[in-house]
Amino acid sequence: MNSITKLLSRAALAAMVALPAMTAAQAAEITIAVGSEASTLDPQKRDDGGERAINDNIYETLLARTPAGELVPGLAEALPTQVDPLTWEFKLRPNIKFTNGEAFNADAVVKSVARIIDPNFASEQMSYFGTIAKAEKVDDLTVRVVTTGPDPILPSRMYWMKMVPATYSDDPAFQTEPAGTGPYKLSTWTRGQEVVLEKNPDYWGDAPSIDTVRFRFIGESGTRMAGLMAGELDVITNLLPEFVESVPKSAAVQGVETSVIILSTENEATKDERVRKALNLAIDRQALADSLYSGFALPTKGQLVNPRAFGFNTALQPYPYDPEQAKALIKEAGAEGKTVTLVGEAGRWLKDRELIEAVGNYWEEAGVKVDYRIEEFGEYLNQLFDRKKRPDAVFVVNSNELLDADREMSFAYMPNGTASSNNDPDLAAWVPAARVETDVEKRKGIYAQATQKAHDHYYLVPLLNMQDVYGFSARLEWQPRVDAKLLAKEMKVTE
Amino acid sequence: MGLFILRRLFQGFLVVLGVTLVVFVATRMVGDPAQVMLPLSATAEQRAAFEHKFGLDRPMAEQFVDFIGDLATFDFGESMWQRRPAMDVIAGRLPNTLKLIAAGLGLAIVLALPLGALAAIRPGGFADRITVFLGLFGLSLPQFWLGLLLIMVFAVTFKVLPTSGYGGWTHFILPAVTLALPAAARLMMLVRSSVIDELNQQYVRTARAKGLRFPQVLFGHALRNALVPFITLAGWEFISALAGYTVVVETVFAWPGLGLTAMQAIKFSDLFLLQAIVFTVAIGIVLVNIVLDVIYKLIDPRIKLA
Repeated sequence: MNSITKLLSRAALAAMVALPAMTAAQAAEITIAVGSEASTLDPQKRDDGGERAINDNIYETLLARTPAGELVPGLAEALPTQVDPLTWEFKLRPNIKFTNGEAFNADAVVKSVARIIDPNFASEQMSYFGTIAKAEKVDDLTVRVVTTGPDPILPSRMYWMKMVPATYSDDPAFQTEPAGTGPYKLSTWTRGQEVVLEKNPDYWGDAPSIDTVRFRFIGESGTRMAGLMAGELDVITNLLPEFVESVPKSAAVQGVETSVIILSTENEATKDERVRKALNLAIDRQALADSLYSGFALPTKGQLVNPRAFGFNTALQPYPYDPEQAKALIKEAGAEGKTVTLVGEAGRWLKDRELIEAVGNYWEEAGVKVDYRIEEFGEYLNQLFDRKKRPDAVFVVNSNELLDADREMSFAYMPNGTASSNNDPDLAAWVPAARVETDVEKRKGIYAQATQKAHDHYYLVPLLNMQDVYGFSARLEWQPRVDAKLLAKEMKVTE
Repeated sequence: MGLFILRRLFQGFLVVLGVTLVVFVATRMVGDPAQVMLPLSATAEQRAAFEHKFGLDRPMAEQFVDFIGDLATFDFGESMWQRRPAMDVIAGRLPNTLKLIAAGLGLAIVLALPLGALAAIRPGGFADRITVFLGLFGLSLPQFWLGLLLIMVFAVTFKVLPTSGYGGWTHFILPAVTLALPAAARLMMLVRSSVIDELNQQYVRTARAKGLRFPQVLFGHALRNALVPFITLAGWEFISALAGYTVVVETVFAWPGLGLTAMQAIKFSDLFLLQAIVFTVAIGIVLVNIVLDVIYKLIDPRIKLA
């Protein structure tokens, strides 16, 4: 009897000692939910958020960004130096290996560049790398990247280009069995279910505190929420603002997306500058941010350019909310009761339909009639991209991953841009000039001019800069990043 | 019987062909995959390259001829989203969906038969009222809401089952129940009314008069005769699950099956994958119908297969 008691108490003691050890072991594993499954694990092929979420932890780039968005050295030892207007020289960190054993060196960089810009490879990421002509090896740890024209954004581009091994990247297996230089490597990929990453023991940088990262694919936001509340998940993305109170922990960070309505300067309804001004003054942006997004959005400051991006014009004032002046302007322009067609879509971006309808309501209060055209996404894109027949007003959300004003300029400011609706000769000249201006201050000056001009003539109705909202389990500690990358090496768990 | 099956297979072939052709045209009318799948900032050249890669820049008639040619070899081309043969994607997902339907429909049948028969013994009685109430409740449950409710109760509050995903047998329970409950309600109501009808037939009185016990009459005769409409509805439930309900259930539970894949194919405007899914589902429907006809014959030899 006595010996049994002893045995039991010993077992209990052992269990008590073992328990903290076990929770510590569990703490080294986290689960992240992403909305869609990666289509491939080749980091250079697709432009796919599901792929990026995983590969951001496996692969690295020559330059990186701090969580706040500042460009810092990554696989390169320092920021690049310019040899001439077309040539940028990168010094590489020594003694770095890919997880398949290949060395990271100039050959790997040359290969990574050549591979992604190869027309036969048809990378969907080419919109980021269109200006790159080639990369040349100088010595084992020095590489020069050559552009087709002067390209001041090249450093930002190299923050987006993932470095792949020189030889193994030609192997068909590369698409499903990645080999990077990053803090994690692939453990298993069960199609349709999950991707599991484990710590790369030979990582050159600081060892991450989390050993195993599990990515699960859950498209339905209610299901993601439930997983977080049940303790199965540690990180969920795109948490709906109204659920922030219900999850154990949440965090928000200024995001890369900004909503805007592009007004056509050529159409009858919106040709008059007074009308375009009225359409801007009629909107209470702060109220939209508070009511639709529970405050997880910031009113834009008179421009579409992302506040974190190079080229953001700090001198511009936000368009004030002045419904009386808006009404007066509409009357003065003789636009009272005239119809403005507002083209948009529903379901692609957070609360897009609600936002479009709320803006339309403000416009109607100012005195115009609004013809809402909420289209199926394909049809919506047809109208958004239609260069011949611009809608009076078209809603879109611009995303600026490279955090450089050239994106907004090429998309919505420059005449004949992807979705722009003005014919301003100055913008037509300035935007391409800024794109090749390598003098940083001069370039900033051009963007200041351009944003000012568009602001003064009301070409756009910039709406809200969205925040990315994340839900965390109680044990997870992480500062979300401006660039929305889910970097597990920056995450920690407390138990 | 053999001739019958052959004839039905031929008819089924025509149906599948017809459905697939409709899908071919319909998917090309709505949405341009090059626009939907590439980022908004993609250049015109990129879009052109994308269309060229998938042959979408060719005349519709030419695409159509190729499509028919490939159809013969079950080649539906490469999924634009997953970038591997569409049939490979389906091969990985279809078994998960079939397992889910088997679990869900099996559960529905196991619930519906005894409950329906129990309710029918004394129409208007206590057991009947309870089951009819539950049946109506089950019929009026929106599946999407039911799934989330079950997750909130069993996974979030009591933490006894996983919220979503695919894995061990515990992952089956909530999605299978979500799929089963509305189907069980429909099936149960049908069993109830058919058994009531049968119990009012003359042959039941005769059987009772010659001394058969009630359970023998109920299970041996009435329920067996009620099986024909039951099988029809069960088959219909299978088809509806394959072509519709699993889309909802798999989305809620992040179940890696055909339904969820169909949702994603639509979201990404992945024409090739969507075509392949519709083709697979159409084949499934045709096969289920043939199997049903054969089962009728086995249950009731009086039925003539024409």
